[in-house]
Amino acid sequence: MKQLSLFFAGLALAGLVAVGCGGSTSPESGGGSGGGTGELTILGSDPPTLDPALSGDTESATYVVEIFGGLLTLNSDLQIVPDLAVAMPEVSSDGKTYTFKLKDNAKFHDGRKVIAQDFKYSIERAADPKTQSTLADTYLGDIVGVKDKLGGKANEVRGVTVVDDRTIKIEIDQRKSYFLAKLTYPTAFVVDKANVESSKSWTDKPNGTGAFKLAKWQIGEKIVLERNSGFHLEPAKLTRVNFILAGGSAMTMYENKEIDVTGVSINDIDRVRDPANSLNKELIESPDLSVGYIGFNNTKPPFDDIKVRQAFNYAADKDKIIQVLYKGLVQKANGPLPPGIPGYNTSLKPIPFDPEKAKQLLKESKYGGPSGLPTITLSIPGSTATPPPFSEVLREQWKTNLGIAIKIQQIEWATFLEDVKKGSYQMFQEGWIADYPDPEDFLDILFHSKSNNNNGRYSNPQVDRLLEQARVEENIDKRLKSYQEIEQTIVNEAPWLPLWYGKSYILVKPHVKGYQPAPMIIPNLRLVSIEK
Amino acid sequence: MLAYLIRRLLFAPIILLFVTFFTFVLGHYGPGDPVVILMGQQNNPEVVERIRKERGLDRPLLPTLENWSVFPPALSVQPGQYVDYIWKVLQGDLGESSTLFRGQQVSKLLFQKIAVSAQLGLLSLLIGVSLGMILGLAAAQNQGKWIDPAIVTSALFLSSLPIFVLQPFLVLVFVRWLHILPTSGWGGILDPRIIMPAIVMSLGPIGIITRLMRSSTLEVITQDYVRTARSKGLPELAVRIHHIGRNSILPIFTVVGLSLATLVGGSFVTETLFGIPGVGRLAVDSFFARDYPIIMAFVLITAVAYFIANLIVDIGYSYLDPRIRLN
Repeated sequence: MKQLSLFFAGLALAGLVAVGCGGSTSPESGGGSGGGTGELTILGSDPPTLDPALSGDTESATYVVEIFGGLLTLNSDLQIVPDLAVAMPEVSSDGKTYTFKLKDNAKFHDGRKVIAQDFKYSIERAADPKTQSTLADTYLGDIVGVKDKLGGKANEVRGVTVVDDRTIKIEIDQRKSYFLAKLTYPTAFVVDKANVESSKSWTDKPNGTGAFKLAKWQIGEKIVLERNSGFHLEPAKLTRVNFILAGGSAMTMYENKEIDVTGVSINDIDRVRDPANSLNKELIESPDLSVGYIGFNNTKPPFDDIKVRQAFNYAADKDKIIQVLYKGLVQKANGPLPPGIPGYNTSLKPIPFDPEKAKQLLKESKYGGPSGLPTITLSIPGSTATPPPFSEVLREQWKTNLGIAIKIQQIEWATFLEDVKKGSYQMFQEGWIADYPDPEDFLDILFHSKSNNNNGRYSNPQVDRLLEQARVEENIDKRLKSYQEIEQTIVNEAPWLPLWYGKSYILVKPHVKGYQPAPMIIPNLRLVSIEK
Repeated sequence: MLAYLIRRLLFAPIILLFVTFFTFVLGHYGPGDPVVILMGQQNNPEVVERIRKERGLDRPLLPTLENWSVFPPALSVQPGQYVDYIWKVLQGDLGESSTLFRGQQVSKLLFQKIAVSAQLGLLSLLIGVSLGMILGLAAAQNQGKWIDPAIVTSALFLSSLPIFVLQPFLVLVFVRWLHILPTSGWGGILDPRIIMPAIVMSLGPIGIITRLMRSSTLEVITQDYVRTARSKGLPELAVRIHHIGRNSILPIFTVVGLSLATLVGGSFVTETLFGIPGVGRLAVDSFFARDYPIIMAFVLITAVAYFIANLIVDIGYSYLDPRIRLN
């Protein structure tokens, strides 16, 4: 789901408009005009794929989680709960082997029972190099034998054992507290072998286990999902969900009663917040599990000096950016972990806005002050021709408070991705959305010195060690506390300038009940109903 | 005539080879990589390498000789990515989308979208050309009166309005005030949702055709052969149709003929603002997503379309104006 982080976290004006108007960046910004009873019509966009093994972006996941399912899933409170499994698995004493029992009424859309062999097939298929999954390493790589299969060294995945038709055992390489969370991701979903092998374009007629079936997909026009009445949990209340893919101005469509749900852009937020406006009652505000930040390359001058990084943090007045520029559409970020992630620390000590302290730190740095600094360039992804307004405000704040004139360069997304991973930029804007609700997904993946996603090349051996310990810590409280300590250290050492946590603002027509905007993509359409 | 046609047709493959090769090389050496795009912000060089290999993207671009030796004599040729691509295209296979619609047939995707854009483009062109010709003729026949500058100025004004101004204005009038049209979307040429985008897209042609028609009519009506025709005692209608009309539409024929080629290219901005699933949006999206199979096919089809349109214009000319000889 990382493709789109920037839209949430970037919040360039264009980005805000995209979220509000296109509805393409979040399922919540869609909307619907349920014509008949039990019919919801919401905005959507074309998914790059409907194959669970390939689905790694928000658009694909939106449909995949409704059509397919796995052993476990996330509920509206982001707790891990059984989906096709009868209950949470039995875990062996060494924490490495999980035994799942399948539900008796677990069926594919065509009525065939889901058996343990289907899971073994699905995992081996996702890990087959021919499938070309970009995510199998991340989500299934902990399972014994998956890496060998991916590397073409094995035909089967040793760590997945079919005990009998209803029982499956999964063995992982070492105790990992976050492994079950990974099983809620589409990569681990079950597919029907006969369906997959029926044709190359099998996803045109997917035979999943989810609460909805794919009834129609006209590229660029619409996707229609129909209720799966044989669903193993409580079936959906809606008979159909229509996703309009053609786009257009979402807010106008909402007000013209063409759709029932829409995202709200910065252009409309004032009137929607006004209690005198009838739309105000239809507004739902909810947090996203995302963070936007400026990353410093900790190995490139001048950000190889901790004092310079700290000075840039002290010199940034984030409140002004968020309140004045973005009208409070986002929440100020103190550290990398957004609210809603387990272990979110309300008493985290942030680096406050303090221009005097900033100046002093810069003087104490090995560069001795603004005149000793090399030219600094902030790299921002995008193709909007003008840099996003927040970056210009930051440039002015650093100029006023530190006496440094930075340059801003905007780089098209595909090029930015390549270069930021190579560590080519001195300073860059990025964002991160949770893949699964666990602090490991932020702190370990973004700050461990050996992690491929540590784009700022931050390195602290002590933080590395604590992160490694937290991976295997059994006691939940101890584990979360450890992540809080790690986060505080990271904030103090300032590898980032954390900017904001994402929030979503949507309007939902009063006759739509149970539409809960989730901070992550979870199967929640079956809870929606239409009452007119 | 036949010789001309054959010569032109022989040129076609050379032009197409050049165009595809140029695009292929640009895609290959330009910044950005489809597999990196698929990975998004996740970074894992091993996975990128593995998928590149699986897709054959690690192979050389051009034919290379491999494993050659003199003793014992051995040689194998690796055709390379470009030759493989052309070979597939010759067999009618445009490949599969690599990032935007993973695994879907490019030909199916592209023709579906071209069909949408072509319907919209054709309707706008039809409106633009017929209104433009009527207005241009009316302006020319009223030269020296207030109607002439009024027509020319308003046509110019309308066609200079940027779509960013027009779109909200049309939505305000037709959707918010009059409540007679839906905001956006697509339902084919018979669906009311085509009205606003067609209006927007026809304004450009109206402006151009009006001015062209006016000036070419003015030029023609002062010609000797028109006076001769009249003095022969031909009925006025015959003079207007056969002598003025036929000769003054020559330049318009060029503009319209070449516009036919743009039908397969779609219009990115109009399609985006009105939510139309056309080929313009697909082309731009596929560029940003580095979906090279779609980009290549789009370039190829556009090149063929321009080639055909040029040919039609050239041949049509020789029929419309016997003074023009093709050789």
